[in-house]
Amino acid sequence: MLENYLPILIFIVVGVIVGGAMMAFGFILGPHRPDTAKLSPYECGFEAFEDSRMKFDVRFYLVAILFIIFDLEIAFLFPWAIVLKDIGLFGFSAMMLFLGILVIGFIYEWKKGALQWE
Amino acid sequence: MAFEQIVFYAFSAVLVFSAGVVITVRNPVHAALFLVLCFFSTAGLWLLLRAEFLAIALVLVYVGAVMVLFLFVVMMLDINIAVVRQGFARYLAVGGVVAILLIAVMAMVVGGDYFGLERTPVPEPIGEVSNTRLLGLQLYTDYVYPFEIASVILLVAIIAAIALTLRRRPDSRYQEPGRQVEVRRGDRVRLVSMKSEERR
Amino acid sequence: MVALSDYLTVGAILFGLSMAGIFVNRKNVIILLMCIELMLLAVNINFIAFSYYLSDTAGQIFVFFILTVAAAEAAIGLAILVVLFRNRGTINVDELGTLKG
Repeated sequence: MLENYLPILIFIVVGVIVGGAMMAFGFILGPHRPDTAKLSPYECGFEAFEDSRMKFDVRFYLVAILFIIFDLEIAFLFPWAIVLKDIGLFGFSAMMLFLGILVIGFIYEWKKGALQWE
Repeated sequence: MAFEQIVFYAFSAVLVFSAGVVITVRNPVHAALFLVLCFFSTAGLWLLLRAEFLAIALVLVYVGAVMVLFLFVVMMLDINIAVVRQGFARYLAVGGVVAILLIAVMAMVVGGDYFGLERTPVPEPIGEVSNTRLLGLQLYTDYVYPFEIASVILLVAIIAAIALTLRRRPDSRYQEPGRQVEVRRGDRVRLVSMKSEERR
Repeated sequence: MVALSDYLTVGAILFGLSMAGIFVNRKNVIILLMCIELMLLAVNINFIAFSYYLSDTAGQIFVFFILTVAAAEAAIGLAILVVLFRNRGTINVDELGTLKG
């Protein structure tokens, strides 16, 4: 079974080598002559006003949370779809109950306007 | 040394190294990125243990969603790192001693004497049976109640997240496409019939 | 061949490291949450290792549920963190002692 994953491993190794080699060559071959003027933060001729990190709006965060929840729901759907023939009506109704409970949450977030972009 | 062993040690080394970086690095963004590396190498270890579905699920759910959430939060809060790092060196000594003791004790318990290859040999390969299929056959029959409870937990998470973070701003403006489409001519235009007036 | 004890030792090291992380970063709640995720990961490694070496799928099902609960926990924990930061302007654990008698 594991030999099916050998291409992925080779891909990872090649990716690490290529990426690492490029950074290493750039670091070794490039000239390093830092001085204070070069290293100081620069913003159109004057000192930077604020941190380079920008504050996000909370709405992005809410969307990310809802994404996690439905991502997990999808993860539960995969094995179910594979074995649906073997588990029959019982498994089908079990998954419908699962989805039904999550649809309650979906209706709630829809009604609350959490999906609304302002 | 077998090839599988080399892969195991490589993934474990990356895992332990990146876990060490997560707990010591100054910048929380870097910590989050190294946590992603941790999850990747753990997924590699799980593949070695023939847990294919969970390895992919770990990458999908954790790397794809949870770590994005962590990164969002780290970006959203601008933290004063200097204050948060106070007393780092002092706690490092205590934490290091505790961690070494803990690891030593656990390594003695789980070491080769009790869980070595003689006690727990590597199982025979079970042939070409899909791991996802085995998982599904048990999950939706024997473990159906925990499965339904999982959905309730997810429901709680949805409602809690909305209740905690959703805040309506009364002054914000937004479009409602539904109501835009709903508009009829009569709502906007009023035709008034009136006599023409004399010119003054 | 890789023995079960090797996987368990990796899990133990990961757990010890995240324990040390909780000691070291005791002021930064975000890193604390990350350390909790790492601990759960260490536990999951043990579950899957046992599941393979004992040829029992139940361990993997447990890991699946742990993943679910951990994702929900991370979502709610970070939501609380965001609300906390919005109301208090800090995530330093030492300044969050209002409930202390």
